[in-house]
Amino acid sequence: MALAHLDALYQTALRLTRSRAEAEDVVQDTYLRAFRAFDRFNPGTNCRAWLYTILRNVFLNRMRREGREVPDPEGLLTAEAVESATAPAFAGDNPEEEFLQSVLHGDVDRALKRLPLAFREAVILADLEGLSYKEVGEVLGCPIGTVMSRLSRGRRLLRRALGGFAREHGYVRETE
Amino acid sequence: MSCLELGARLHPYVDGELPVEETAAADAHVAACPSCASLVRRERAFRRLLRQQPRESAPAELRTRVVSGVRREARRAWRRRAWWLATPALAAAAVIVALLLPFWRAPAPLVADLVDKHIAYAQLDRPAELASTDRDEVAAWFRQRAGLRVTVPDYSPSGIHLIGARLADAHERRAAYLLYEKGRTLLSVFMLTLPDGRGRLDGTPVSYRGHEYRRAERKGYHTVIWTDGRAAFGLVSSLDYEALLECADRLRLERANATSL
Repeated sequence: MALAHLDALYQTALRLTRSRAEAEDVVQDTYLRAFRAFDRFNPGTNCRAWLYTILRNVFLNRMRREGREVPDPEGLLTAEAVESATAPAFAGDNPEEEFLQSVLHGDVDRALKRLPLAFREAVILADLEGLSYKEVGEVLGCPIGTVMSRLSRGRRLLRRALGGFAREHGYVRETE
Repeated sequence: MSCLELGARLHPYVDGELPVEETAAADAHVAACPSCASLVRRERAFRRLLRQQPRESAPAELRTRVVSGVRREARRAWRRRAWWLATPALAAAAVIVALLLPFWRAPAPLVADLVDKHIAYAQLDRPAELASTDRDEVAAWFRQRAGLRVTVPDYSPSGIHLIGARLADAHERRAAYLLYEKGRTLLSVFMLTLPDGRGRLDGTPVSYRGHEYRRAERKGYHTVIWTDGRAAFGLVSSLDYEALLECADRLRLERANATSL
């Protein structure tokens, strides 16, 4: 049943919206739209990716309506700023990456929240939800090359943010 | 492949998204280059960290809200469009059909995908990502590498020996891939989760020791595929159907034992 995807959609909505109440509304709307758009569902395509696509559109529409961040192009610009702001080397960049051992409960979600939406959604879909590049491309409506570059930069930003938390927790010392 | 080339392909390599030939070239480079091996280890540790993040289930009220919302929507649509669906029982049945339909329109058949993978890997010098004849080691590797619980069947009584494992993609999903050999003949065992809990399995239905399978021949190779819940299994080899069905039955049996323990 399409409801088999309910938990995964809810989890994704939660990570996108950052609020339980909003995630619930987004998921509810997603199913309603899926129901209405049913005759446009393309046989032979992937139901999961189709539902994620609707979920993302519902989420983006809400954001636009409320005048909040949208993924492009601001997201990409913000990312540049984030990257240069965090440019000084810290142990998060060291080859052994020991900070991974010290990531605390909730750190990944905190770090994800700091990512600009364009990167956050790519990382959530590929790394937390396990979608393939092709599926992520379908959901985000972009070519695989773009998926790859967003993933690569999103992961880099995420690592840096996690490295920053590890420093805050005192697990990792800043390097010169 | 050089370090530079590996670096450029690091993410798709770790994500199992590189074509077979490039994966093999990257495997070979990583096996010989400690600094790239450490890069790959780091990247995998990071993926594991992300994959192991706790997940929240949807609250029960949300499930109820979704079902009643869709039902309400359905009633509204039918009142507009079809008087004959206006009775509650029919309306409920139609909601169920609507929610189920995405499964029936499942993705393309598995056989072609698996046979092409089998052929591609059979041509490599080192088809396995992890070369091992130890079933426990292979099972532990899948657990560690991708968080997968994989039953690694013992086919040695039939003279079929484990040679290793790899992560592959099949049906646009990551699949566990076990490699066996009988003499010089390769047997591929693929295990994957179907995208929508149910895929379209192609081939001729065949019953073996009380269980249903589908067999098919493609490009001169035999395949036997079957599903068990949301999991799908596929065997590909030039061995005959009888041998494949025997292997399928054994895997089913070992899985049943593993889950009942």
